[in-house]
Amino acid sequence: MPLDNSNIVSAAQTKFGALKGVTLREMFSEAVDKATVDAGVPKKDIQAAFIGSFIPEMLVHQGHTAPLLMDFAGMKGIPATRHEDACAAGATALRAAVMAIESGMYDTVLVAGVEKMTSVSTNKATEALAAAADDEFESSMGLTFPGVFGIAAVAHMQKYGTTEEDMARVAVKAHKNASTNPLAQFQKEISLEKAMTPRYIAWPLKLFDCSPISDGAAALVLTSTEKAKQYTDLPVKITGTGQASASMNLCDRDDLTSFSASVDASRTAYKMAGLEAKDMDFAVVHDCFTIAEIIASEDIGFFKPGEGAKAVNDGVTARDGDKPINPMGGLKAVGHPVGATGVKQAVVLYRELLGDAGPNQVSKHDTAIMHNFGGTGATAVVNIMRRADA
Amino acid sequence: MSEKPTVEEYLKNIQDSQFKAYKCVDCGMVIAPPSGSCYGCGSSKMEWANVSGKGKLVSFTVIHIAPDEFAEETPYYIAIVELAEGTRVSARLLGYDPLKPEEVKLGSDVKLDYEDTESGKKYLAFKPA
Repeated sequence: MPLDNSNIVSAAQTKFGALKGVTLREMFSEAVDKATVDAGVPKKDIQAAFIGSFIPEMLVHQGHTAPLLMDFAGMKGIPATRHEDACAAGATALRAAVMAIESGMYDTVLVAGVEKMTSVSTNKATEALAAAADDEFESSMGLTFPGVFGIAAVAHMQKYGTTEEDMARVAVKAHKNASTNPLAQFQKEISLEKAMTPRYIAWPLKLFDCSPISDGAAALVLTSTEKAKQYTDLPVKITGTGQASASMNLCDRDDLTSFSASVDASRTAYKMAGLEAKDMDFAVVHDCFTIAEIIASEDIGFFKPGEGAKAVNDGVTARDGDKPINPMGGLKAVGHPVGATGVKQAVVLYRELLGDAGPNQVSKHDTAIMHNFGGTGATAVVNIMRRADA
Repeated sequence: MSEKPTVEEYLKNIQDSQFKAYKCVDCGMVIAPPSGSCYGCGSSKMEWANVSGKGKLVSFTVIHIAPDEFAEETPYYIAIVELAEGTRVSARLLGYDPLKPEEVKLGSDVKLDYEDTESGKKYLAFKPA
């Protein structure tokens, strides 16, 4: 049965990028204010908070972040819990909130995600990110995150003939979409030639195949259907949700051209929503690397395995294509403050579904899918959302 | 070496150039890197297994940008290798030019080796058979 009681009534994000002079708690507070008081939801109405943050311990030397952040945002006292599932932290926080509302325990809850990554050097941030992979068996021999996706790319290229140019086209699309998104880290189009600059990070992945290191926060308010009426005439409903896990180690996977957790989570979410990939008007997927978008587009069933690259080349996934993917610019060009990303993806769905995405608006926007995954793809969360009047 | 395999000893074996896999006592499945339960039958009874050292190259990447700890070693290959015994491991790949990755053929036969580093640390590695 589709979920019927989970309604997003407001959603917002801070600008993503290297936000100099802005601390973790300040970013959090800004996103929360935008999603609550600025959107007509009094903070006193919030009964519990679910917060995604990946690794503030290493990035800003701060653990136990949920109460700290809520205190700064003027909301101490209510239950506040941090969720950590690497890059899927935001979406697992959202999913916990959905379960809390659907259970009837709460009527109105806050979901937020935040990460401050630029207060340490790029090498330190890379080291912190590597903690999302298996340290004893893979990271300790020098396998990096770009390396993980480089291995997936080589397997995909070998099996399906995907090329470096196909991947570069994903970057070109991301930058084009982000060029009109004032909240994006990179608001500049790039040429295919530039995207192909042979500055290798982890062959065959080059600089422009990789999402950047970013700061940022995102927040939304989730309510029961009854409560939603207090805040808006038109909420966005989460009608299906799926989560799955897979081995942390790449070497323990039979197929390196697909992420099984993404496939499993999306099938669960579609089944719950009573919908299929063909019913989706657009998708927001976890494009931490360009190859990740191509694979995700196949894993969520938008395209057959091996046909994701062709869809990019044919413009099918462009903002004005038949199946737009990441119409506001994705992780690749908007930025990837790890714990914020899953919540930010929900913010994008909310805005697009309501028709509130300005120059980045897709033409068909009744129903959509978001896909957020963590680390090496060992956690994946997929949500199906539709506008309440659709 | 204890009868019941441990992760600590698995890692030490590599440092000693004596790679060994886990093997499920109940169904015989060979497993590496270690798992607390068998992928085949779910049993948590494990013993050590010697391997032939023969494998096939499944996929790879070349790391150009690495954390400080590995920065001096770049560029270097990391590969996924399927051992003749059926299990897959991640390892360094030796004997290929890291600046000519397009010449490396997936499915190539490789054999077990080890890579020594200046720091004295050793990596599990494979080289062309």
